[in-house]
Amino acid sequence: MNLSEIRIDSLKKIEELNSERDLAALKTYLFGKTGVLTGLMKGLKDLPPEQKPQAGKEINDLRVELMGLCEQKEKELHRMAIEQSINSQVIDLTIDRPDHAIGHAHPINQVRRRLTEYFVGNGYIVYDSPEIETDYYNFQALNVPPDHPARDMQDTFFITDNILLRTQTSSGQIRLMEKYKPPLKMICPGRVFRNDDDSTHSPVFHQMEGLVIDKNVTLCDLKGALEGFAKFIFGEETRIRFRPSYFPFTEPSVEVDVSCFNCHGSGCRVCKNTGWIEILGAGMVNRRVLSGCGIDPDEYHGFAFGVGLDRITMILCAINDIKLMWENDVRFLHMFK
Amino acid sequence: MKLPLSWLSDYVDIGDITPQELSDKLLSIGFEVEEIIPPRDDIKGVVVGKVEDIVRHDNSDKLWVCKVNIGSSLVQIVTGAQNVKKGDCVPVATVGAKLPDGTHIKPAKLRGVDSFGMMCGGSELGVDDDIIDGASFDGILILPSDSTVGEDIMVTLGLNDTVLDVSITANRPDCQAIVNLAREISVLLNKPFKMPKLTYKTYSVCTTTIPSVKITEKDLCSRYIGRVISNIKIEKSPKWMRDRLRMCGIRPINNLVDITNYVLLEIGQPLHAFDRKFIDGGINVRKGVKNERITALDGKEYDVSDVLVIADDKKPLAIAGIMGGEYTSIFPDTETVFLEAARFERSNIRRTSRKIGLRSDSSARYEKGVDWHSTELGSARALALIDELNCGYICEKVVSDSIEPPQQKVIRTTKEEICSLLGIDIDKKTIVSILKKQEISVKSEGKTLVCTIPLVREDIDGYPDLAEDIMRFYGYDNIISTHSENTHQTRGYMSTHDENMQKVKDRLQALGADEILNYSFISPDAFDKLLLDEDDGWRKVIPIKNPLSRDISVMRTQLLYGMLTSISRNCARKNSTMRFYELGKAFVADNLPLESLPQERDILCIGLCNDGDFYTIKSVVSEVVGMFGQFKYTSSTAKYLHPKQSLHVEYGGIVGDFGKLHPLVCENFDLPENVYVAHFDVTEALNAAMPVSKYIPLSKQHPIDRDLALIVENSVPVGDMLSSLYKVSPYIVSVKLFDVYTGEQIAQGYKSVAFSVRLQPIDAPFSDSVIKEIMDKIIASAESEFGAKLR
Repeated sequence: MNLSEIRIDSLKKIEELNSERDLAALKTYLFGKTGVLTGLMKGLKDLPPEQKPQAGKEINDLRVELMGLCEQKEKELHRMAIEQSINSQVIDLTIDRPDHAIGHAHPINQVRRRLTEYFVGNGYIVYDSPEIETDYYNFQALNVPPDHPARDMQDTFFITDNILLRTQTSSGQIRLMEKYKPPLKMICPGRVFRNDDDSTHSPVFHQMEGLVIDKNVTLCDLKGALEGFAKFIFGEETRIRFRPSYFPFTEPSVEVDVSCFNCHGSGCRVCKNTGWIEILGAGMVNRRVLSGCGIDPDEYHGFAFGVGLDRITMILCAINDIKLMWENDVRFLHMFK
Repeated sequence: MKLPLSWLSDYVDIGDITPQELSDKLLSIGFEVEEIIPPRDDIKGVVVGKVEDIVRHDNSDKLWVCKVNIGSSLVQIVTGAQNVKKGDCVPVATVGAKLPDGTHIKPAKLRGVDSFGMMCGGSELGVDDDIIDGASFDGILILPSDSTVGEDIMVTLGLNDTVLDVSITANRPDCQAIVNLAREISVLLNKPFKMPKLTYKTYSVCTTTIPSVKITEKDLCSRYIGRVISNIKIEKSPKWMRDRLRMCGIRPINNLVDITNYVLLEIGQPLHAFDRKFIDGGINVRKGVKNERITALDGKEYDVSDVLVIADDKKPLAIAGIMGGEYTSIFPDTETVFLEAARFERSNIRRTSRKIGLRSDSSARYEKGVDWHSTELGSARALALIDELNCGYICEKVVSDSIEPPQQKVIRTTKEEICSLLGIDIDKKTIVSILKKQEISVKSEGKTLVCTIPLVREDIDGYPDLAEDIMRFYGYDNIISTHSENTHQTRGYMSTHDENMQKVKDRLQALGADEILNYSFISPDAFDKLLLDEDDGWRKVIPIKNPLSRDISVMRTQLLYGMLTSISRNCARKNSTMRFYELGKAFVADNLPLESLPQERDILCIGLCNDGDFYTIKSVVSEVVGMFGQFKYTSSTAKYLHPKQSLHVEYGGIVGDFGKLHPLVCENFDLPENVYVAHFDVTEALNAAMPVSKYIPLSKQHPIDRDLALIVENSVPVGDMLSSLYKVSPYIVSVKLFDVYTGEQIAQGYKSVAFSVRLQPIDAPFSDSVIKEIMDKIIASAESEFGAKLR
């Protein structure tokens, strides 16, 4: 066969190839030690010297061309082979096999964590305070002397006459102020206890106390802080409203409502048609509380707030029964991803 | 507090404001209306009618045909009732009327006679004797003869009033009185306030001697005013008074008792009426002596040793501020009354009331605090009502005793001081005007505002209180949001403890565990159910003095009880698979009863139900405990665990046990047998900083893997043997078990342990001889320590 016959023959063979194995055989046939092209190259030495360069070039050109085609074919065949094997790997995609379950934090603690991170980001420290407290920290230092009618606001579990289960995280305010000097910014999240158990109350629940003490702190600063928090939790369009109230340890004291995140104020079931949802109590720290902790109330002002974490969670997650929070029903826990 | 709007309107003109608008406005000044109790709306078209004529029905023995004047017309009504006479005033449901049971009145024909309406009995109107006498009688309700013919029955029966149930905060005991709430509303609505009538005529000559009054315990009773009323006529109080009392939840009794209750609601001053004839000598407000006893109005006997009483020369007459004595109270034959208006110290009333276990409307009021002026106001108002209702002759002489009248508080402040607390600028004129409206007198001395506080406002004691009272009427909507621009920058952070806690929780959740929460108090029966020894430390629980129930009466010392209860509850609900954890506090008393605060320990409890086996919980435990560093297992003696499938961990701040739950514990908690738990005290571990992981250089050399199978006796602990191999050479980076086999080809009592060893050369590749040397050493070590032979 002359060169052009070899070329036509080879092109045809490459064209007809349909397996990687045949291609390997063809490559051996063409380029192997005893291959056709190798043979032609070897035959060059028998040609007259003046024909050698031309013949050599022609053989080499053909060799380059055929090798290129082989390589191209090889890629093509390899892709076909992979595709074929892919097609044999059909599985039923509709089957679920959940063998690496992810656990979830309790919804209350999911909310607690979000709030904690928000306040830490805003310069607050997180302070832990005992759940079993003395009367002094839970009441007296918070301007609730023995036999004060404000004690009726909170049904208390007692251990002894003087030791009780804290009814509010506000006790953390006193412990913090006794320990550190202003400026102070803290939150104190944790369990609190009230001798109360009905469809809307649980004897154990969670609060998050907030306290800021510094020179020049104002009621407007309290509003700013709480508005930021409300927007973070309930959405950017949330507004807040202050209404006068009473807590022994703050003066002035306010109840804080947020505009209903569900209806944005027009009235719905979530806000009982008022457009507002009550979420927390707050106020400017009472001067007696400050001076009781050794802080000069003429030099420093402060604000404090207490959020019910269970309540916020129930509002956010549309949980309608407080009992669910403590039943630990696995179906319930799995709802909060 | 119940506030009937008609009563309120006596003292402030509320115009045509709707109850809802008033409630919204009250909210803005700090009084939350908990409920608007609307008038009855289930009666329509019922009016007062007068029976002008009554004759028997021609065709019936039982029916009567009446001509009834209903004001606008005379209508014919046929009735089957037998108690109606000519001239009676009766409720008439006119044609088109609607009754509470849904009945619509239409013209009817009864045995051929037209009837245009229906005369009603109390039950048909949904009223009883408490609302009007005769309403509980089975027949037509006969109204008082002076009823206004044609008047809507709602008005006649006093059912047309709206009542607001207002929540009064503990700082405003003064607003437990309708007049003081009316005063607030007058400022709120900018309408004049009118005091109730306080004047009355008196008689200088009295038919009886008037007892003297002496307060022995002036710390506990600062003021006592006594008045005598003679020629008393005990009868029913007028309907308007009974209606108002009823709307406020108080049952009408007789004119004199009703007046004292009326004044309690209106002025906020508790009063007590004694029958004069049972008072021997003078009145003394003193403490009860040892073993002194009194039978109170509730018929029970109380020990009043050391309790403040109102006494005469011989005996205690009343438990001061709480309840009167049974024998000295008002009876239908009472002729002369001694009327007490006193001011008792609130904390003593509260203490006493709790001590003797007796509460009353009066003690509830005193506990909140009654101000100095209410005493004389209350006395005067009661006398004015006694006069108005002609209950008797009021003797001119007043008997009283008191401490020196208290001074009005004076607060010196400035506009700047008030505004610096609020953060907004309010001009001085506005401040002064708002305070003055609240009857706080304000004098300017240069920049200083000298504010004199009326005695009724005992809650005000500093400029922040004034700031609040200004804002209540200036409007909290004027408070803007600012961002603490004038305060210091602070650094926010979590404690090591809280950070570690978060890491542990994250790890557990990544391991597929759901977080649960259980109450901090449990049942004292927990410990028997957990099979704990009698002297087990966990039994040393802190009891709650006033628990809600036995089930939640002691503080938890462990978290297992809550964990197992939660798993059990899930199982009962057919939730079969669980992987739970709780990270919470348990309470450890150093001694009982508690003298100081107990330790609050951080406990981690993990529970698996139908979720793997011992090795599952072991791997979860090792992932979590391993976060705190290297650790070792020892055998567990925990009573609640399966003795053959449990381990103990105790190292660097973590102490606890884990394993399969003891089958008896499973039975006690109604659990399936496949439950695994772990319980660790992690307090110290959480408080220490977690080790920071350090980089160990990665070798560029290829590791070499070799498999080995060794034969050992069945009793050899495979885990211990494999981990012992690491010490053979520093180049061994892993020893992984892949099979433990007993059976054919292996002698009885032996097992084959197959595992894979990875060797990691560091600087240069290992030669075959080095590899062989290490592998031989491994075999030799296993042989000498565990009697292993190469398979």
